[in-house]
Formats: sequence, structure tokens, C-alpha cells
Amino acid sequence: MSGAEIIGLAVAGVAVGLLSALMGVGGGVLMVPLLVYLGETQHLAEGTSLAVIVPTAIVGVIAHRRRGYVRISDGLLLGAGGVFGAWAGARMALGIDAEVLQRGFAVFLLLVGLRLVSRSLRARRAEGEGQENAS
Amino acid sequence: LDRRLSLGLLGLIAGLASGLLGVGGGIVMVPPLVALLGMTQHQAHATSLAAIVPIATVGAATFAAGGEVDIGIAGALVAGTLIGAPLGARIMAGVSETMLRLVFGIFLVIIAVELLVG
Repeated sequence: MSGAEIIGLAVAGVAVGLLSALMGVGGGVLMVPLLVYLGETQHLAEGTSLAVIVPTAIVGVIAHRRRGYVRISDGLLLGAGGVFGAWAGARMALGIDAEVLQRGFAVFLLLVGLRLVSRSLRARRAEGEGQENAS
Repeated sequence: LDRRLSLGLLGLIAGLASGLLGVGGGIVMVPPLVALLGMTQHQAHATSLAAIVPIATVGAATFAAGGEVDIGIAGALVAGTLIGAPLGARIMAGVSETMLRLVFGIFLVIIAVELLVG
């Protein structure tokens, strides 16, 4: 990698961190398409995305924990089931053809996007009604 | 259903989605944590993030064993996300989110369609 590429990726990382915090979605939703767009395979994009999520999530947990929001024992139970699922899911992904995996990811992304659209439309409508009632 | 069993099962499903798709899996965990287990949105978000640490670690390790992690790219991206994520969290407090989220949702739908047809 050249210096310019490293800086470009770091800037993209800032944007990913900003957007995912603002939009309430995980960074993976953004990083996987970004890496595919940059010419990486779907598999490498997914593996690299997960590698980025680990330190980012650790820092996030530390911040949330200071404010007292993390329920540690519940998180541990989720994580205990989660690690088996993660292993199985990743093994499954590695066994799937890249093109099929990419289509599967696209369907997931479509659902995430439509959910955001419908939720924000509903929130706007609720806001509008609230204003009508107030006037 | 026993609460602990529910949490383990929910984690299992989120882990599967995470490993298969290369995402954290928070989107799978947060809604049931709020609707079924009575957490606030903040608690659910923070607790799912705690679960994502081991989940993404195992997923990344499994992909790495298959030769599918680029450490250089990951390191450069991390340098950015560690600046961007706390910045976003701070800005979020003062922004009306619905318009932003609507635009962003439409943006994600466009990417998805492009991935599907492209």
C-alpha cells in the first residue's frame, strides 16, 4: 500500500465511524460495500470489516460503560451464543461462491436501508401529528 | 422461555448473521433486546456492542484462517474509525436525525440495488 492509499483509507474510516454513529447502523454495513467498490472480493471485504469492528467496538463499549449502559452479564450471554454463530457463519461464508455471497449481502443491505426509510418516515409523521395537536 | 436461554439464542442468530455477512450483528440484537427483554434503546445498543466484541473476534479469526483478512487495510480503516465514531456520537446529541436517516436509508437501498444488478 502507498502512503496515499493508507491516508485515503483512514479518511474513509473517519467517515464510516461518523456515519455509523449518526445513523445508528454498524460500520460493517458501510465497510463491506466500500471495500467491494475498491476492488476487493466479497470474502476479503467481510473478513477485513470484522477485523475493523473488533477494536472499534471495544472503544465503544468502554465509552458506554462509563455512562453505565452496558449490562455485562447479558452481554456475556449474548456473546457466548454469538461466538458459535460467528464461527459457523464465517465457515459458511468461506464455503459460498463470492457472487452468491455478494447477492446475499445486497439483500441484507436492502432490508437495512428500507428499515431506516420506513422508521424515519414514521418518525416524521409522528412529529407532524404532534405539531398539529399542539396548535 | 428462560431469559438466559433467550439471550444465548439471540446471540447465536446474531453471530450467524455477523459471520456470514461481515457485519457486527447489532441490527439483529437491538430490536429484540428492547421489545422482548425490556432494555432501553441505550442499554440494548451498549449491551449488543459488548457482545459484538467476542462475536467479531471469532468471525475475523475464522476469515483470517481462510486468508480473507487484509491487515494493512484493516489497520488504516481502524485509525479512521477510532476518530470518527466518538465524533459522530458527540454530534448525534444535537441533530434532528429523521431527515438524515431518510437520506441515508435511500442511499443504502441504492447501493444494495447496484450490488444486486452489477
